[in-house]
Amino acid sequence: MARKMIRVLLVEDEEIHRVMARAAVKAAAGAEDDDVLDVAENGAAAVRRVREVAPYDLILMDRQMPVMDGHEATRRIRAMGVTTPIVAVSSDGLPADVEAFIGAGADHFTPKVSQATRQCRPCDACMRHGQQYMIDLCK
Amino acid sequence: MKKSLFDQGYLDEQFCQVEDLQDEASPNFVEEVVTLFLKDSGRLMSNIEQALEKYPRDFNRWDAYMQQLKGSCCSIGASRMKNECMSFRDSCGQGNVEGCMRAFQKVKREHAVLRQKLESYFQLLRQAGATGAATRSIK
Repeated sequence: MARKMIRVLLVEDEEIHRVMARAAVKAAAGAEDDDVLDVAENGAAAVRRVREVAPYDLILMDRQMPVMDGHEATRRIRAMGVTTPIVAVSSDGLPADVEAFIGAGADHFTPKVSQATRQCRPCDACMRHGQQYMIDLCK
Repeated sequence: MKKSLFDQGYLDEQFCQVEDLQDEASPNFVEEVVTLFLKDSGRLMSNIEQALEKYPRDFNRWDAYMQQLKGSCCSIGASRMKNECMSFRDSCGQGNVEGCMRAFQKVKREHAVLRQKLESYFQLLRQAGATGAATRSIK
C-alpha cells in the first residue's frame, strides 16, 4: 500500500544548507517522487507559504535569516493556529537560542552543525507529540 | 589524499556525511556542494571584509557575518577554517578588534589552502574516473 505523500517546508536562506537539507531529507525519509520539499528563503516567505499552501507535515526552521528570523516566523505560524511540527535548526545551539525557539512554539531543536541527516531524526520528537504519521518521514 | 585532508585537520567527519548523501541519482553531489561552499564562503568573507572597514567596532554585525561563514564551514566539515571562525567570534565577544583582525587573516589563509587542496582532490578523482573508464573499455 502506497504511503501518504509527505510535505516538508524548509526555511533556510543559505543555498548550501538548502542543498544539504534537501539531500538529507530525501535520504533519511526514503522520499518518493510525490513527496514535496518546499523552500522558503526567510521567515516572512515561510509564514506566507504556510498560510497559502496545503498543510505541511513538517517545518524545518533556520534561525538567522533576513526579513524575518526563525523565532518570529515560528511565533507567527503558531499564532495562525497551525500545529504542524516545527523543528528549529541553528548553527549555535546555545541554551538561550533553544529556549527562544521552544518559547516561540517550536517542537524540537537540532543544531545545524551536526550531521545533515540528523535534521530528520527530530521527527522522533514529533512522535512524542502524538504525530504518528510522521514515522514515515524517518524510516 | 583524502586521508591527509583528515589527518591534517582540514576536514572532519561532517565531510563523510556529505559523501554519504552522494548516490547514483546525484553522482557529483560532493563536488557540487564543495563548489557551492567555495563560492558562498568567498562571498561571506567579502561581506566580512567590508564590514570590518565600514562598521568599525560593530562586533554584533561582524559576529553575525562570521556566524554565517562558520555555518557554511560546518556544512562540509571544513574544520580548521571553522576553528578560525570561532576564534574570530571569541574576539568579537571580548570586544577585541586586533584579535578579530588577526583571526580574519587566518580565516582567509585557511580558506585559500582548503580551496587548493579540495580542487586538487577533485581533479585527482576526475582523473581516476577517466582512467577507470579507459581501463574498462580496453578490457
